[in-house]
Amino acid sequence: MNKENEDPLGMATMVNTWMKSMGDLWGNMAGQWGAPFAEQQHAGAKAGQTATPKAQAAMAAALKNWQSMAGAMAAPESMTALFKGSGAMPEVLLKLSQTSMGSFMEMQQKITQRLGRMGESVEAYQFQDIDENMFRVWTDIYKKEFQQFFRIPQLGLMRTYQEKANQVADTYNLFQSTLSEFLNLLGLPFNRSMQVMQEKLGELAESGELTDDTKVYYNMWVKVLEGHFMTLFQTPEYVETLTRTVNALSEYSAARNAALEDMLSLLPVAKKTEMDDMARELYELKKRLRKLEKAQN
Amino acid sequence: MSQTKIPVDLILSKLAQDAEKAQSRAHKASEVLLDDLDTKIAQTAYEVVYQEDRVKLKHYLPRTKIRYQTPLLVTYALINRETMLDLQPGRSVVERFLEAGIDLYMIDWGYPTRKDRFLGFDDHINGYMDNVIDFIREKHAVEKINLMGICMGGTFSVIYSALHPNKIKNLVTTVTPTNFDTKKGLLHVWMEHLDVDRVVDTYGNLPADMMNLGFLLLNPARLMIDKYVGFMENMDNKQFVENFVRMEKWIFDSPDLPGEVFRQFIKDCYQGNKLIQSKLEVDGKRVDLKKLTMPLLNIYGKYDHLVPPEACEQLVKHVGSTDTEDLCLDTGHIGIYVSSKFQEAFAPKIASWLKERDQIPKKKPPRKKTTATKSSAGLKKTAQKANLNKKNTQPVATSKSSRSRAASKATNG
Repeated sequence: MNKENEDPLGMATMVNTWMKSMGDLWGNMAGQWGAPFAEQQHAGAKAGQTATPKAQAAMAAALKNWQSMAGAMAAPESMTALFKGSGAMPEVLLKLSQTSMGSFMEMQQKITQRLGRMGESVEAYQFQDIDENMFRVWTDIYKKEFQQFFRIPQLGLMRTYQEKANQVADTYNLFQSTLSEFLNLLGLPFNRSMQVMQEKLGELAESGELTDDTKVYYNMWVKVLEGHFMTLFQTPEYVETLTRTVNALSEYSAARNAALEDMLSLLPVAKKTEMDDMARELYELKKRLRKLEKAQN
Repeated sequence: MSQTKIPVDLILSKLAQDAEKAQSRAHKASEVLLDDLDTKIAQTAYEVVYQEDRVKLKHYLPRTKIRYQTPLLVTYALINRETMLDLQPGRSVVERFLEAGIDLYMIDWGYPTRKDRFLGFDDHINGYMDNVIDFIREKHAVEKINLMGICMGGTFSVIYSALHPNKIKNLVTTVTPTNFDTKKGLLHVWMEHLDVDRVVDTYGNLPADMMNLGFLLLNPARLMIDKYVGFMENMDNKQFVENFVRMEKWIFDSPDLPGEVFRQFIKDCYQGNKLIQSKLEVDGKRVDLKKLTMPLLNIYGKYDHLVPPEACEQLVKHVGSTDTEDLCLDTGHIGIYVSSKFQEAFAPKIASWLKERDQIPKKKPPRKKTTATKSSAGLKKTAQKANLNKKNTQPVATSKSSRSRAASKATNG
């Protein structure tokens, strides 16, 4: 009764049978692979030759391993552990999807808030509630959910190169997200000046002061746009985003240069850092020489 | 509800007219653009009389008899090129100086390469500038020369004059930032938070394109949209196109800025505001503004968005000189040098101011006096001049009118 409850569909029995047959299959394969090898070895020994090719031996060993693994998996304890693990899978998937959904919902919420504000009237030259949150959210999501993957410690001979490559990818992604934020900010004066223009045109139309000279409207718009830019550029949000964008660009450039230097080291050319070292030495030597010359004169 | 009257028919007919005009303009413009255009800049004749590394010293060939005993050295900024002072014949500060009879030298900083990234204030001021000035002093057998600085070149000139006051006779600073503790200019706001170490360590020199983008972003509506709309509207006018292209050539002919200069300029000036407080150190020596004892003419633009008046006008109050003058022109950062209207006010003013001090022997005046006047050309002017003891028979600074008349006579020969 208990067993039926644990495995109502008989999955364990089915997998157990399959594992056994797999074990037999690997065993047969190993036997067939080993037969000519054994004959050849016997013949070789007679002729005083050395051992059979290593590939054949490796293949036979691998097949035997597979047979052992299939046998071990078919054991009742392993099957229980396997099914417990598979039972945990939906939980893992659920957690993963929860995180992604959380981020998605956060984005969705911001978009809804933004859409809700679209109809609101625009006060000229005011940037108190800058709508850069959308992009900031994306940067935050990237930092929370994705950045960690680029920071997994790398192992082995190529670890340094892999780490640098990951750093390039990471800094590039961060730069892109801050750049989007920055460009979005730069776009705000255009949106707002257009809205202000609509309001102004409405006022002019109401007072019957509309003119047929399109240049007048253009001049009016450029002036409004200029005013909006001047106001935006002095906001702490803009200054902060500008600083972060410049920093992100510098970080990306530095990471890219470091990775490129690794590639350059394969070629018979001097690296930038080597040239810099040489330039510094020359600079210091020249400076000392000039000081000596001046002192002597 | 009253119906508003929108002259849709008029607007549409105006649009149709505009479209016709645009078509005809485009046709003419193609002829202009395909024609031979004279867009050369910096055509005034000069010879390179001194060169050290990338730095050259230009000596402009005199056009008339030299009427000044003391030669003038112009130091431009390391940002953009000194060619701005000689954009085209008839619109050139260099020409005006030469016509006034000034023996004119100008530093060409050249194009810094990666190897120049370690050159800082000391190398430019106590190195290149000092060598150039020594060269001119030796060539002319004079103890002191006149020095004029432009923008960052003005800041260098102030530092140089404070460190080597015995070599400078008169100092002229134009659109020169010395007080960086102001929120009036966007550059001052933006540079406050810049992580300059990260930028310099990454790039070595500050890339010119990055700088230019920064300057364009100071006023995108005018510099990235309206300017080119203006060009489109006038591109059938050959002269307009030639002038426009000359300016474009100058604006985007930008050398990279040596990394260490940039680092020091941002950290010590924009972020530390050390110069005006006489706390700046160059090669371990303090730059004491009180050592600026030579006559000082300080010119700046009222509508300068890069170096606002607040960044310039503090200087005269902090120097040791008793013969100082502030001149605020109703224009912007570049307008002072390239606008024909302001060139008429700017270059002759410098020539006459130098002439006055070229002839009158120096005497130590007893105390300072500050006056504020409005010039006839609509220029705000604050003069801080030596108040003479009336008993003094050989005045260093007389009343403005008497000195101006003397200078005017002398300049006109």
